[in-house]
This record gives sequence, C-alpha cells and structure tokens, in this order.
Amino acid sequence: MRDFVKSAKFKVLLGFLAFLIGIMVYSVTKGGYSLSVVSAFNTVTKPFRTVSNNISRSMEGTLDRFVHSDEYYKENQRLKEEIGELNRQLTEYEALKTEVEELRELVSIKSEHEDFEFTQACDVIGYIANDPFMAFTIDKGSADNITPNCPVVTAEGLVGITVEVSEHMTTVRTILSPDLSVAAVNSKNNKDMGIVEGSVASAQQGQTQLIHIDKNNKFKVGDLIITSGTSGLFPKDYSIGKIKSIDLDSNGLSDFPRFT
Amino acid sequence: MRFRTTREQRIFNVKTVVRWILYYIVIFICFLIMTSGTWMKPILLVPAAAAIAVNSGQYGSALAGAVCGFLIDIACGKLMGYNAVLLTFFCIIVSLLYEYYLRNKFINYIIITSVIAYIQCWLDYKFYYEMWEYADVELIFSQISMKVWAITIISSVFIYLVIELINHFFLPKTHITIEEAIKNNS
Repeated sequence: MRDFVKSAKFKVLLGFLAFLIGIMVYSVTKGGYSLSVVSAFNTVTKPFRTVSNNISRSMEGTLDRFVHSDEYYKENQRLKEEIGELNRQLTEYEALKTEVEELRELVSIKSEHEDFEFTQACDVIGYIANDPFMAFTIDKGSADNITPNCPVVTAEGLVGITVEVSEHMTTVRTILSPDLSVAAVNSKNNKDMGIVEGSVASAQQGQTQLIHIDKNNKFKVGDLIITSGTSGLFPKDYSIGKIKSIDLDSNGLSDFPRFT
Repeated sequence: MRFRTTREQRIFNVKTVVRWILYYIVIFICFLIMTSGTWMKPILLVPAAAAIAVNSGQYGSALAGAVCGFLIDIACGKLMGYNAVLLTFFCIIVSLLYEYYLRNKFINYIIITSVIAYIQCWLDYKFYYEMWEYADVELIFSQISMKVWAITIISSVFIYLVIELINHFFLPKTHITIEEAIKNNS
C-alpha cells in the first residue's frame, strides 16, 4: 500500500479527483442550466428513459390497482357525487360567463393574461429518484424557450417551477418543496391571503400547506386556494388545491391549512 | 510469470473489451431503472460501481465510479460531480482493498457495499436536507434515506450476481489449473 501512495498512479488518480471537484464547482456557476455534456446525454437517453418510464408506470399502475382497489371504489363513489354537484355549478357558471363576456365587450376590457407565453404541452418523462418532494423531468427544454424559474401549470392548476434546464429536458420542482413559496389567496372571498410552502411532513402525504395567514382568517375545509399573482413569478388565479384540514402549527400559536 | 501466445493475447483483449462493454450496459440499465416510475428505488449504481471495482484496477475502478456517480447525479437531481467524486474515491479504495487485503467473497462485497451506500445516503441527507434546516427534516432520514439504504443492500445481491456472471465468462483468469498448464505445454 505504501508503494501505491508513492507511485505515479496515485498522483494521476488524485489529479482525476481534483478534476471531478472542478466539474462540481463549475456546475454550480451554471445558474439553472445543465452542463453541455449532461444536456447532450439527456438528449441521447431521452427515448430510452421515456420508454423505461412508461413500462415502469404501467407496472406500477397494475400493482396499484390490485393493492388499492377498495380505496378507488370509495373514491369513485365520492367523485360521482362531486361531479353531480359540479354539473349544477357549471350551469350557473355558464350563465355568469355569458354575462361577464357581455360586460367585457361593453367596457372593452382586454382578457387577462394576454402577455403569458405558453410552451407546447409537455410530457413527464421521469421522476427524480427518491426525492421527498416529487420533483420530475419534462420532455421540453431550452430548445423550446424554457428557462429556469418558469412556472409549470396543468389544466388542474399550478404544479411547480423549472429549476434545471437542458436542451430537451427540464427538471421541475413541485409546490410540495419547502424551497418554493407561492403567494396564494382564498378563491371564495379573495381576501384571505397566505404563502403556500411545502414541508417535509406534509410532502409525505402529497400535501402542501399555507403559512403566514391572517389571525382572523375565514378559511374552511374544502375552500379552493388560488395563486394571488402578487409575486409576479406565478400567473394569477391558478388553482393550487383545496383545503383538506386546518391544524395548529408546531408552536401552537397559529393555525395553518393543509391542502391537496 | 506466465507468457501468453499471440492467440491468447488476442482472446484476452477481446474478453476485456466485451467485459467492459457489458459493465457499462449494466450501468446504463441501472440508470434507466433509477429514473423510471414514482416508487422509492435503490441507488443501484452504488453496488454496481463497487462490484466492478472488486475485479478491476484502480484506473478502471475510478472511471467506473465517476460514470456511476455522474449518472446518480442526473437520476437524483444532485449537483453534477458530487456523487462522482464520492464514488470515484470509494471505488479506488475498494480496488486497493481487494488488491492488498481482501479475497473476492460475497460477504466482503456486501459489507463494503453496505458501508458505501450508508455513507452516500448519510452525506446526501446531511448536505441536501439537514443542512438547510427544514422542519421535521429527520423524517427524511428515517422514512427515505434508511429505506433507500436497505433496498440498496437487498438489490446489491442481484447486481453482484449479474457482475459475477459477466466475470465468469469474460474475466481473464489470473491463475490456471494444473490440467490447463499440462494442456498448454503439450
């Protein structure tokens, strides 16, 4: 062993380790963009990862159906009731929509969010292994004009933000992460505001929480929380989730809603 | 010292090249498994790198460690180079341990893989979660890091078998039997 320490091989290996540390330091300076080599690797491996992820998801789905069949049956019944309620609301909404459109035409107000630029619809091609906050990768990147810190939304609402952008692949940090804070408001009254910020405990249940809320708030279980748009980073009026429970925080002084 | 004929040398070279190609195919498959699906997954590339280092020289081990480390960084969304540095270091150590002190036994491999995987999980927890003082951060160690460590050790058995299978067919023998020596000399 002593001979090895004195050998040229030892010095070469030390140099190699120093080179790797250099790469690590360099990658810190890239500001949300992947290294070119990584970007190229992601592009080359994208089809393999997509196929392998599809196989894996399909296997997980099959096993999941067997294991959780009872829960899905109950959820199905609950959703049927919810659909009935939503259909009733939809009828009212359609009437209101027509009225709003007429009023808009009357006062010539531009429809909101005209300045937003949406990319093409993205597909999830994989999940970050063992990430407690469910970060994932999508199949669009800098070639599709995606930059770091772009909001990621679906038809259901806000999902997260882009954090590492390759040419054809992007990593998304979800709203379950404590590293992401979103200004939010209660859609019922547009008054009760707060900050949506994930935590380790809530992320384990696939939930996030609303913090820094007013003491005299009127949050109730079932209320829909939407983005307030005050930070300028996230679009306004995007659904974040419904309040599932309202608990006391760790110091017991104030309450905070958890929602899915 | 054993002299090789030209034909033996050619077979040796071909076997070495095929062996390393198969190693990197195994590494790539481990990477694909790690990036697929939503369930908790073992860090398959740690036992793979350790198993390769067992029968390889220091240069080969260092390179395999660096490649596996970079792939872990991509799969787990870590700082590029972080796991590469760790695994390169560990693979060199494993290669040296087997060259000077240890015999190629399964139990040695399991112990070494367990230690490396534990250090990797522990450092990951320290640098990526505990250091940032998230509330209830210890849950990540108990609910995720330790589970990942456990399933990594279990999965290392399969990785060992696959690498041993490759070695069985493509690792040139360092020692020959008496029968082989007689056959070669006749």
